[in-house]
Formats: sequence, C-alpha cells, structure tokens
Amino acid sequence: MNFSSKLIEEAVQSFASLPGIGKKSALRIILHLLNQDTNLTEQFCDPILKMRRHIKTCKECHNLSDAETCEICINIHRDKSLICVVENIRDLMAIEDTGQYRGRYHVLGGVISPIEGVGPQDLNIETLEGRIAKGDVKEVIMAISPTIEGETTIFYISKKIKEKNIRVSTIARGVSFGGELEYADEVTLGRSIVARVPYKTNQ
Amino acid sequence: MHLKEITLTHFKNYDIQKLEAGPFLNCLTGLNGMGKTNLLDAIYYLCMCKSNFNLDRDTRQFGKEFFRVEGHFVRKNKDEKIVCKVIPGKKKVFEANDVAYKKLSEHIGLFPVVMIRPGDTSLALEGSEDRRRFLDNTLCQLDVIYLNHLITYNKILKQRNIYLKSIPYGSRPNEQLLKTYDLQLLEPAKYIQVRRREGLEELRPIFNQYYARISGGAEQVDCQYQSKVDENFEAQLEAVRMKDLQLRRTTVGIHKDDLIFKLNDYNLKKTGSQGQLKSYILSIKLAQYEYIRQHKEVKPILLLDDIFDKLDANRVRQLLELLLENDFGQIFLTDTHESRTTEIADSLERDYKKFHVEKGRIEEK
Repeated sequence: MNFSSKLIEEAVQSFASLPGIGKKSALRIILHLLNQDTNLTEQFCDPILKMRRHIKTCKECHNLSDAETCEICINIHRDKSLICVVENIRDLMAIEDTGQYRGRYHVLGGVISPIEGVGPQDLNIETLEGRIAKGDVKEVIMAISPTIEGETTIFYISKKIKEKNIRVSTIARGVSFGGELEYADEVTLGRSIVARVPYKTNQ
Repeated sequence: MHLKEITLTHFKNYDIQKLEAGPFLNCLTGLNGMGKTNLLDAIYYLCMCKSNFNLDRDTRQFGKEFFRVEGHFVRKNKDEKIVCKVIPGKKKVFEANDVAYKKLSEHIGLFPVVMIRPGDTSLALEGSEDRRRFLDNTLCQLDVIYLNHLITYNKILKQRNIYLKSIPYGSRPNEQLLKTYDLQLLEPAKYIQVRRREGLEELRPIFNQYYARISGGAEQVDCQYQSKVDENFEAQLEAVRMKDLQLRRTTVGIHKDDLIFKLNDYNLKKTGSQGQLKSYILSIKLAQYEYIRQHKEVKPILLLDDIFDKLDANRVRQLLELLLENDFGQIFLTDTHESRTTEIADSLERDYKKFHVEKGRIEEK
C-alpha cells in the first residue's frame, strides 16, 4: 500500500501489528478516526494508555487487577476453600463466563514445557503453595488443558501439594455436552468409558 | 483395496503427472534416476502421511514451494479421494473426500501399505532405530491406540530429555519434575511393550515360512524381541537417574528396544552373505505384509522397489511363485530391466499394466 503521508503509514502499521487486524482494516480504522474530531481520538487512546500504565497483577491469584488484590479475591462471598488453577487469564475468563463457579482462582501463567523453555520455576507454583500453606484451602481444581504438557503440570503440582492433605480434582473430560457419540474421537470416547460417572436420578 | 488413479504435483522429480493404475500388478520400468521409486514414494505418502525416504522439504520438486498428491482409491467397494497438500514448514493438510483430517493419526491405517526396497538391508546393518521403526510402522497401521501411545511417549521423552539438557552444570535437578515425567511414561511404555511383544510373536512363524520358501529351506532363521524394560519401569528409571543426569538424556525405556535377527543361531549381521541378507529382509517384509493383511479387512498395497536386484535366478523364481499363490492385492513393482519384468508378468497369466518412466514422465505401454 502506498501512503501519501508518513504519519498515516506509521499509524496503520501500529494497528496492523495487533492480532486479527490486517493492513486494510488498519487503514479503515485510521480513516475513521480522521473523519472524527481530534478529541475523540484522544478519548480513544487515553483509556488504553491508562489501562497499560495502571493495570496490576493480583498478588494473591495473579489475575489482572486494578488494585493490589483483584475483585475476585476480595469478594467475601466467594469460597476461600476452593481454588481453581488455570493456565492463563483467558481460561479464567472462560470459567467466569459459565457463572457456575463461586470459588477463587490461581493463574499459573503457562504449562511446564522444557521445549518452550518453561520450567516449574517460571510458573506461579510457589505462590500457590504459599496460599495452601495458610490452611484455608480444602480443594484445588485443576482446570488445565488435557495436553501432554498440561498433564505434566497437573502431575507436578499434585505431587508438590500431596502432603498438605487437601483434595485435588481435575475438570471432567469426555464427550462434549450436546455432542453425539459417533462424532467423538476414539481417545476421548475410550477415556469417557473408563472414567464413567455414577448416574444420579434424584436431581 | 486398490489405487485407481494418482496425480502428483511438484513431487520430487515430477512436475505434474497422472497415472491410472490397474487393480492387480503394475510394472514400472526405466533407467536409473528417472523417477520409478519416487512414484512408489508418492503412493506411500498418501497412505502413511510421510515419505519413506526424505523430509518434506526434500520431497517437493527442486525450487518449488509445495507439493501435492491426489489419489483415488477403491476401499470396500467405495470410492475414496485422498488429497495431501504440503508446504514444508507449515501444517500438512490431508483430506479424505474433501474433508480435512483434524489429526493425521486418524488417517494412518485406513489405507495400509508395505514398501520393500533395497535400502531395507539397513534393518539388519544399521542401529536399532531402523528396527524399531519397522515394528512401529507395522503396529501403527493396525492399532490406532498404539499410534497414540507412541506419539505420547515420544513427546514426553522429548520434554524429559530437553529438561535434562537444560539443567545448568553444578545445579541441582528438579527431582519432582523428573519423577513426574517418569510416571507419565509408564502407561504408554507398558502398552507399547505388550503390543510389540505380541506383534512379534505373531510375525515370527510367518517370517519363518517365507524364509524357508525363498531360500528353499537352506537355513534356520529367527527373530527376537528385546526390551530391557521390566515390570517395574518406574524403579528402573530411578536407578539410572545419575547416569541420565550425566549423559543428559533418558537411558532406559522402550525407545531402546531392539529386534535380534538370527541366522542359524548366529547374528545375521556378522555371518550373513549378501544374498542371505537380502532374502532375510525380503522375508521379514513379506511377513509384515501378511501380518497386516491378516488383521485388516483390506489388503495392503505392496510396493516393490527394485527387489530383483541381487537375488539369484532361483530365488527370484521362488519369490514369484510365492507372490502368485498367495493372493496379494495391488502391487506396484519397479525394475530397470524391461524384458525381465515383461517375462515375469506374462508368466503370471493375469492382467497387468506396464509403464515406462523417463525423466519424470510416465507413459503407459
């Protein structure tokens, strides 16, 4: 693309560096901003800058937060005895969106994968142990992707906290809700049969 | 099952080439370096999602970005269109009837194939890796769970080895992480070992029969599975911990398994002649074909690359009679001697197709 203005070119490149935005969409956004008042662009940029400068990581669970401690961790209505361990903040948001969970979280920041250069010391595992050591926690739910690296991480953490005498569970794996058996892959279906659950009739 | 038609695009020395194959025997003749083996490799690729020879980047035609192979098979009386599109360095795409597979492992085993080529002597002459690959290649086509366990085992092993390599000298290793990897290896290792042992037990008698036929009963042969992994793999891993840390890799496991090839109770590699070696390998590969056939609803495609080379006239005749009386499925065969192949094919008294390969072009004769 040829631009008559160096300023526009730079702005387009900035937008185009964002995920999911190509050069054409970037140009469309820039031209849209140019059609508006100058202060509207300032209003657009200010929250982004402010967010970037002031965002914090919760010292308890490593979720994103405005304050030292996040909204979830200071909420007294959320169950302190239940910690859900997730890989990243997007997974946390996905679980929050279900509206089914009233406990607290712990964001690891990834999974153990020496190939990617990520070892246990690069993840928020020590802080999790610290939280458990305080004694309020009764159960830790591992909500980690069922990949080989995810399994390694679950295994590793469970071994670390084994002596603490708390329940460690993982999210259920198997046939998706509303899915049909014939379309489930063999590995998933095989494991679903092995790890079948008792059927409850009174609920 | 058979391949009706195959189209290669930028595959090795082929620019664009279509071939309509016959359901029984297909003979490809031509001089060295013309592309006979490359066509066999393209068929192999369609069945196994990889080349039997090269990495993907060396499989595309020189100077080209990508390669593509399209095959029309008939499987259980149904037409199946398989297309693979490969841009080396990017994700490989395999489609069955225009729908892309999510995982390549879903495709392997649907169209079983066995390739026999002169390079197979590496099975006896080279290290244990080739022999493990032979076992894995056989079992993966029969058992998707085996394939999945093998993929899992290799991934965990790779992570474990990279971790061992990443520990800075003089610092203490994370024992708990190593233990985690040990525990993760147990389940796949056990399954793989059981299946390998069972598989070889079934393969052995078939192999003995074939060797007796091809050699005219001249020698006694045997083939044994060897695995150092025992009932308590976990303890074994722990016992070699210091060694693993020093060598910075995993020194015990089913990735060290081997096959022992014996000829008259001696090691084949040490005592076998060229011809004996060739007969031995041929028999074990034909046994592989037979074993897969016995466990599949469809007959595998047999790719015979230049197998008449090095065998004496007697052994060639034995081999042909064997191919005749056992109802093999579709066969693709390459040879540099057109007259020899024609003579053989005529003697079979069955329909066959003859192709001439020259400089990356194939013509039906």
